[in-house]
Amino acid sequence: MPASVTAGDEATISTSGSGKATFYLLGPGVSRRSDVNLGEEIRIQGQDLRNAGDYLALVCSDSCHSGTFYVVAAKPAKLTFLVHPSRVPVGLSDAVSGVAFPFDQFNNLVLTPKTISFQLAAGDKPLFSRAVATQNGVAWFRTASGKSAGLLQVNASLDDLSAKRAVQQVASDPCNLRITGQRIPIGIVVQTEPVHDCAGNVVPDGTIVTFSATEANGKSTVDAPVKQGVARAQIEASGATVVSVASGVVMGNELRIGAKP
Amino acid sequence: MVLFVCALAVSSFAADANVQVQLDAKKATPRAVENLTERGILRDYRFAWMSMAQALEVNTLDPLEGPFAGEAKRMLRDMVTSQQRSGLTRQYTNQTHHLEAVFYAPEGDVMELHDTAEYELRISDGGKNIHDEHVVMHYVVLMTPGADRWVIRQLQAVPQS
Repeated sequence: MPASVTAGDEATISTSGSGKATFYLLGPGVSRRSDVNLGEEIRIQGQDLRNAGDYLALVCSDSCHSGTFYVVAAKPAKLTFLVHPSRVPVGLSDAVSGVAFPFDQFNNLVLTPKTISFQLAAGDKPLFSRAVATQNGVAWFRTASGKSAGLLQVNASLDDLSAKRAVQQVASDPCNLRITGQRIPIGIVVQTEPVHDCAGNVVPDGTIVTFSATEANGKSTVDAPVKQGVARAQIEASGATVVSVASGVVMGNELRIGAKP
Repeated sequence: MVLFVCALAVSSFAADANVQVQLDAKKATPRAVENLTERGILRDYRFAWMSMAQALEVNTLDPLEGPFAGEAKRMLRDMVTSQQRSGLTRQYTNQTHHLEAVFYAPEGDVMELHDTAEYELRISDGGKNIHDEHVVMHYVVLMTPGADRWVIRQLQAVPQS
């Protein structure tokens, strides 16, 4: 009985005695029965040994004799690479993670330690590089997102194998909100200056900016989405008004506009 | 039902007449395994082995739909169809599984478990018993969360280290 066989390789089993017998091979994905002559070698084809795992060989004539052996994964032939998230704000610690599993050509998990190289780059600029040895067939990393909005390329490689993923980095929360405004016949028009995060990236369209207008007879609030970097709103107010602005937890400047003449 | 839910709540242990599963998730890294996830793994791993045993005992593919996916499902389907051709069946009884979660991905989308399984294995050819064995086997298992359950994607027996 072979001690161990590499997936996809042929194997032979020796028998003793004489006469006809029935040979059974039972393993992951295979249950085979065939007639054999005792005293001759039994050849097991590689296609019956593609799945890593335990195999039971039985030879039955008057009685049955059994033996077991393991098939182990062949050399890595592909990488399964999971990366999260697909979209991430810039400048966030531990925000990007990746997990890689090496598999052989028969989709068996390769459990012998292999060194997988993880590389992150924004355009041509490398951001992160680490070589990690697999433990129990898995290697992983976790790192901060970059500082600039745009595509983050994430690569895992093992010898001549590689797997590429992409993460879209977007601006973080708005920073230094500033507004300007003016009175018009039907109220007040206010708008932000281009809204950036603290690293200078323009925040994505759809980011909500809240304008609050306080005048003597009450307070009103308007939510407006950022469009092409700027959020605008029209507020109905006739008296002297103080307009403030906020987005998320970030506050901007206050704007004082006099009463309608 | 209430008793069953309570039993799950107080300990990480699930059992029926055929399949017992225990899970130790304390060493899982880099993400800690939440209690609800632990219960889900116990429930779904146990169900998967019951389904596998049923599929291989009566040579039918139906029980494999649901608890298995990807490579594990393909391998088990091959096993069943191969048994159908050869007239063989395998019977797994008195199963106990000692599961240890060794890796839980940072985002919770894949878990690696090591199972020390014990069971009685009976092989039959055309209804005639040809082999009985008490088996102790070690498995490396990859599970991923599906829409409503955890599914087994890889089930690979390995020699005891």
